[in-house]
Order: sequence, then C-alpha cells, then structure tokens
Amino acid sequence: MYVRPVHELADHAIDAAVAAGAGYADARVVQRRAQLVATKNGEVDSVSDSETEGVGVRVLVDGAWGFAGDPRLSAEGARDAALRAVSFARASAAHARRRVELAPIAPASGEYAAALERDPVEVPLEEKIALCLRAEQGMRRPEVKITEASVRAMREQRAFCSSEGARTAQRFVECGGGIDALAVSDDGRVQNRSYPSAHGGSSGQTGWEFVEGLGLDREAPRVGEEAAALLTADPCPARVTTIVVDAEQMVLQVHESVGHPTELDRVYGTEAAYAGTSFLKPGDLGSLRYGSEPMNITADPTTPLGLGTFGWDDEGAPARRRPVVEAGTLAGYLGSRETSALIGRELGGSMRADNWSRMPLVRMTNLHLEPGAGTLDDLLADVDDGLYLCTNKSWSIDDKRLNFQFGTQVAWEIRKGKLGRMLRDPTYMGVTPEFWGRLDAVAGQDEWTMFGLTNCGKGQPGQHAHVSHGTSPARFRDVQVGVRQ
Amino acid sequence: MNALDLAERAFSTAEGDQAEASVHVERSGFARFADSAVHQPTLIRDETVTLRVVRDGRVGCATTNRIDHEGLAAAARHAAEAADSSPVDPGFPGLQEPAPIPEVEGYDEATAALTPEEQADAAAAAIEAAPGFGLYGYYTSGVSEIAVASTTGHAVSQATTDVSVLALAASDDASGYAEATSWRASALDPGAVAREAAEKAARTREAAGIEPATYRAVLEPYAFSELLFYFAFTSLNALALLEGRSYLSGRIGERLFDESFTVWDDGLDPRGYPKAFDLEGVPKERVLLVEEGVARDVVWDRRTAKQAGDGRKSTGHGLGAPAQAFGPIPFNLSVAAGKAASVDELAERVGDGIYVTRLHYLGVVDPREGIITGMTRDGTFRIEGGKVTTPVVNLRFTTSFPALAAGLLGLTEDVALVNCSDFYDERYPFGTLVPAAATEAFTIVGTGSGPGL
Repeated sequence: MYVRPVHELADHAIDAAVAAGAGYADARVVQRRAQLVATKNGEVDSVSDSETEGVGVRVLVDGAWGFAGDPRLSAEGARDAALRAVSFARASAAHARRRVELAPIAPASGEYAAALERDPVEVPLEEKIALCLRAEQGMRRPEVKITEASVRAMREQRAFCSSEGARTAQRFVECGGGIDALAVSDDGRVQNRSYPSAHGGSSGQTGWEFVEGLGLDREAPRVGEEAAALLTADPCPARVTTIVVDAEQMVLQVHESVGHPTELDRVYGTEAAYAGTSFLKPGDLGSLRYGSEPMNITADPTTPLGLGTFGWDDEGAPARRRPVVEAGTLAGYLGSRETSALIGRELGGSMRADNWSRMPLVRMTNLHLEPGAGTLDDLLADVDDGLYLCTNKSWSIDDKRLNFQFGTQVAWEIRKGKLGRMLRDPTYMGVTPEFWGRLDAVAGQDEWTMFGLTNCGKGQPGQHAHVSHGTSPARFRDVQVGVRQ
Repeated sequence: MNALDLAERAFSTAEGDQAEASVHVERSGFARFADSAVHQPTLIRDETVTLRVVRDGRVGCATTNRIDHEGLAAAARHAAEAADSSPVDPGFPGLQEPAPIPEVEGYDEATAALTPEEQADAAAAAIEAAPGFGLYGYYTSGVSEIAVASTTGHAVSQATTDVSVLALAASDDASGYAEATSWRASALDPGAVAREAAEKAARTREAAGIEPATYRAVLEPYAFSELLFYFAFTSLNALALLEGRSYLSGRIGERLFDESFTVWDDGLDPRGYPKAFDLEGVPKERVLLVEEGVARDVVWDRRTAKQAGDGRKSTGHGLGAPAQAFGPIPFNLSVAAGKAASVDELAERVGDGIYVTRLHYLGVVDPREGIITGMTRDGTFRIEGGKVTTPVVNLRFTTSFPALAAGLLGLTEDVALVNCSDFYDERYPFGTLVPAAATEAFTIVGTGSGPGL
C-alpha cells in the first residue's frame, strides 16, 4: 500500500512550499473511488461510480495558514498547489492579528488499513441491485406508495507528509445501506419509516460483510408495516413526560448536543459565522456539569468498524481513545494541534478533511455513549407513563448547541413498564446540560449499537464528514414532548 | 481545454447507444476569517466529468476528475458496467435533444480575474470596517464553467462568476449579521457589509426572553430567503408533488397564500445568478409557482415530466446524473416585491411583534404541511408600538411556512439577492431574490441563549 510515487508528490509539494517561505507545510494525496446503488419502487433509481484524486497542501507562512488543492497528481500539480497555498497564506499574514502556533507532535510514520473480508467496491453491481430490490419488495403494502433502498461502497488511499518528517499511508474502506418506506393516506397524510437509520442508513469501515449483516431484507416487512400503521396512529400529545430514546435517535442526540459543542474550534469561535460556537468555554474542562452520573462519552478513533477510525488524523496526530464526559462532568475536547496550543493541553487528533480539496477541520471521529447496565426492557420497566421514541425524522439545534428540537419517526406509549399504542409525529425539545441532567439510565453493552453517518456538515467551503457513534437506549425524565407549532 | 471541449472528448470515449458528458470546472478562493483574522484561506481548482451512458435501455453513470485519456476511459468503463448491471429503466426520459439556449449574463471578467491577494484584501477591508467587534465570515469569489454534450448533438456550456461576503460581528454578549452576493465583485462593498453587521450587533446587548406564542413578525431577506428555500426544496419540486409529499400535492389551483405572495423561478434574471440551462442541459424557463396567493405550478426535470405525462416538459430544473433522486430544484426563486418603503414601515404594520434578521439550522418537521423548525440568531428584536425596540434572545421557532405566507402583512419594495449556497461539493452559486416580509403568524415555541459568541 505504501505508494512511493504518491509520497514523492507530497514531498515535492512540501519542498516547494518550504522553498517559497513556508515555516510549516503538509500535503495529503487522496485517491477515492465510491459507488452508490439506489432503487425506488422496484426500479433502479441510480447506479453511479465516482473517482476523485488530488493533492491538498496546507502551509504556515509568518504564522498564517494557507491551503490549496489541485487535481493533478503530477509534480507540476503538487508544486502549483504548494505555491498557491503559500501565496494565499502570505496575503493572509499581512492582515493577521496573531501567529498560529502548533502544539509539538512526534512525526508520524507508518501504515493503516481497514480490516475487511470482501472489498465492497469489487462486489458486483448486480448483487447490490438485487439486494436493494429484494429489500424494497419486503416493504410493499397498499398504503406504502414509495419504497427506497440504497447501498454504498467507498475505497480511499490517503498519503500524508509534513515538513516535520511525518510520512503515513492509510487505506479506508467503507460500505453501508438503508431502506425507507413512505406511506400516503387517501386524504394526503404522509408518514415514513427507515432502517437501520434515517438519512441514508448506516455505514461501517469494513467489507461488504457489514452490509450483509444489516439484514435489510429481514427488517423490510416491519418497516413497511410500521409506515402504514403510522397513517392511522394518533398524534403525539404535548406534555412533559419520561422518554426512552432508542439507540438510533441517541446517535443524533450525542452527535448534536455533545459532539459539536466539544469541538474546540467552535469553542474558540472559528465556526461562529456558519455552524456556530459552543456553550462550553476552555475553562470548563474538568468542572462543567454536562449531565447526570450515567452520562459517559468517549471519543475513540480506534473503534473497529467506525467511520472515524484511522491510524493518524489529517495532521498526523495518532488515533487515541479519550474521555469527553466522565460521570456527567466535561472531561475532554476534540481538538487539533492549533487548539491544543491555545488551550495548553494536548487534545489533538481530531483534524479531518472531507477530501483533497478541503482544509482539515476539527471533526468528530467516533463519539460514543458508553453503555450502562441492563436491557431496553429494564429501562421501560421503570416507566409508569412515558414514551419510547425511535428513529430520527427532523433535527435542529441552536448556534451554541443548547436549545434543540428533535423529531422521531415514531413513538410508542409506555404504560406501567410496557409498550402500548403507536403515536405519530413525536418531537421533543430541551436545553443540552439540563436535558442530559435528566438522564437516569443507559442500557447495557448488549443493547449498544454503532451507527455510521456520512452527512455531517461543517466549514466554509462546506465539508462532509463520516463519523460513527455507538449508543444504547437511554431514559430521560421530565422532558417536553409533542411540540409541533 | 475549455469545459465543452472536455465534455465532447469525454462522451466520445463512452460506448453505448447514447452517451452524455457533463463537465464542472471550478476555480475559487475562499478567504475565511474568524476573530478578525483570515484563518482558513482555501484555493480550489478542479474539473469533474460525469458520463451517463445508455445501453439497451439501461442507464449507468460514472464521475471522475481524472481527465487524461486513462481517467476518461476508466469512467467510460465504469459507466458501461453500471448500465450493464442495471435492469431497463422505464422511467428514463432519454437525453436532451439539441435545443437553443437563452443568452444570459452572469460572467464578469474582473471577478474571474481576482487573485488570492485581492480576495485576502477584500476580507481585510471587511475586518477593518468593524473595529469594535470580532468579525467572522468570509470573502469568496470563483469561476464555474458547466458544459453538457451528448451523442444527440446537444452541446451547451456556460461560464459564471460569483462573489459573496458574509459578516458576523460578534463579542461575548452581542452579534449582528449581514451578507451580500453577486456575480460581479464590483457590486459588493465588503466594508459596508461588515458595518451593517456591526451596527446590528451593537443593538443586541442585554437581550431579554419572550414567552412562546405565535407572533407578528418582520423577517429580513436573509431569514425570509432561508424559509422560502427550505419550503421550495420540499414542496415546489415536481417529484415531491407527484409522490404526495409536497404541500402543493392536490392543491394546485387553490388559493393557499396571501394575495400579495407571488413567486416564480427565473434562471434568466440578471439580478440573480443567471443560468442558461440546467444540469441536464435543458434550457431554463421562467416558471410561475404562486400567483397572487394561488398555487400554479412546481419546477420540473426530464424524468418527472415523463412521469407526469400529459405533455409535460422539463422547465430546466434538473440536477445532474446521478443526483436526480432529489427531483428538480428551483435554484432561482424570486418573490414579487411589495409596497413597503422599508423594514421600518413593515414594523409599523406589525405593531407589536418580533424582528428577525437571520435563522439557524433549519429542519423540516413535516414537509407535507410545510412545518419548519429552527432558531433565530444575530439580530432578533422586539417590535413595540410599530418600532423596532429592544433585543431578544435567540428564539426557537416551529412554524408553518404556508401559514406565514398566508398571513403576510407586507413586503418591501426592494428585493435583495441572498446567497443560498454553503459551497459543499462542486461550486454552483445560487440564491433567491426576496424582499423583507411582515407576517401575522410566526410561531415561537421556546427561547435559547443570548446573542454573542
């Protein structure tokens, strides 16, 4: 996998940048191939295959950043990218208010490759199409007007070199899939159900065996039945009650209300104009009460199958498991070499770029809600009157990551510890630390499931990140539900 | 090599009954700043080719940015494999036949020639105009060239320029927002945008909460534009209409909104981001969507037009293969201007209510009913006695866009072009032309934190 000519291109870019005046330079050479198969109502909606490659060069000149990307994997392309990055950095330095400092790091060296049995890109397209069509077939009901299924596969080589001597080669392989059923009533009401997750299903960093293990066709009949049943379900009433949130919706809860606010670039304000900032301050580390005792959150880029798993991040920091919230107290941040220098603690290892054409940003890797004890049934058993909320439908959270409103596809009433009737259009809202303070139980390891998302947006120009979250169902007391308008 | 030459070279490598190549070329610079310093300056150049081939009624796509012979040949092979693996696609409408495309503006040589140094200087000009606050945002400009060519003989291309400046002036307890966008850099004054943001920020200190309720409200163009586009994405889209997911499904021809509400999509309007054709190469048409409150139509692409039958034709709103799963998108929305001379006059019409500058993190709660949630930020105020008065904390709204548009109290006579692109993936500038709006129905369901960082 260690592709010498690719590293030579990266070296060439770094040499050109340093010769042009860069005090620091790094270069990433990325080669990616991705496939998507999507079917809809028994027909193929899309079969696509995409390749992209290029070199991205990041430099510091007089303490100011510059970045340029070029699609040409040639000496000329690498050199051009380097010189353009230097020129942009020099122009920016003329208006800088502070010099960027980088926390020291040992130059990374080595290789990383995702473990897999069957390369998902090499799985015949016919097999992928057949799986989607089979899963769709299982969702069909008279009320279900639209059935959709999709699978994706990706293979990427990423080589990194820096002017400090870092030299790594990494091979990432991802695949995933999902199914959706949309039911429409005669009077125009619309409801949907998805599996294993809404918004594109779930992905893992491994081989095609991951997709086969999802059981899309196995779950399809239930998905179709529930979509149809929602058409005649009663609406979720507005009230304050106990909620048990399923693992899939807990992924969103962790992502939006813990992952993003603990990104140090947001804490320091560099995302203020777009994604927003954070209610957290640098001095909150080790003292801020984020939630209740059962709340334990860990950032772990070493988790097998995680989309945020790597050997080194995109500035050469090694993958390292770290606590973010311990027993309800803020214990860590997601950071970079620059933010580590600002906060005065080594908290790097979360710098990731969407592609060769984007500058690395502080991003989530794999961020998990650590399991508690017991089963989902145990969580339900201790609820006299409440709701069980499943599968994300809508989400919105404020720019400091405090006030949120999330909707799920379905809810079930909980009465005296047992699931009762189905309810449609449930929503719940809260304020992040107050909400997590109402957490009183997390189900155990047997209920812990990891989901991989590919749609996390951030940055200007925009970047997508692929991240994973492992969660168990969790119970929260005294939560406002049922707000629609 | 220009984009059209590349497209013609690309589809000639494909093997099939029909083949189409679409090319997207980008040269852009992004001087992103935070705390009054440029911190993420990004220069991008890329050329992306998407090949679509048709073989015995089967359709396959492949995309590459490897534009040498080897790269294009690999894409052709992948597209052929995709087609051969697929069943016959009965919904495939065929490739666009040769058709004249309209003459449009949208390219400015001076904007195309902006250097990284000039982009950084423009960012600095914004920063220097807001000395009392940290300034956060960006100055970006770019050139995009799109070409579509196919074996039908259709061959079209268009180069466009775009420039945007976005400014958030903020301190720990105050924040204000402004932005401007155009296809001509000379039309933008980064300093003026920053001053507008700073002046707004200075009025947001000591913000207070308000009780959740349905309020009368004034929405600046930034806020009105974002609500409109979210509604349009899910409801003014032919695929959503046909599938019954749109608010307009079964309601075309009905009066759904206030009679002052007229909306159209016009890619030819030089005040916006002009587009001669869509990403399938179909010439752009002006589409009247809402006329004096009556739902008239949605936008169409080739696939949905075929699906609808009845002689329907694409209106030139298709996405490129393989992204058509989203359906056609109205990228050039316009709302008819009203008669209010200013937002102050709108505030007078509101009497008592709230004033909203900008929104954050919208989510569609119920697309069929047009219910959207989100937060206000960076300039929310009370309106009391017909005047904009004291600042308000960020507000959680969950509101019906149809109810908002049915309850319009007025629109300004000036419209502004509001950028709607967050610059993900390939650069494709688009925006809405909207006035500020006053409504009697904007529903607040909760309060959040105060303005500021």
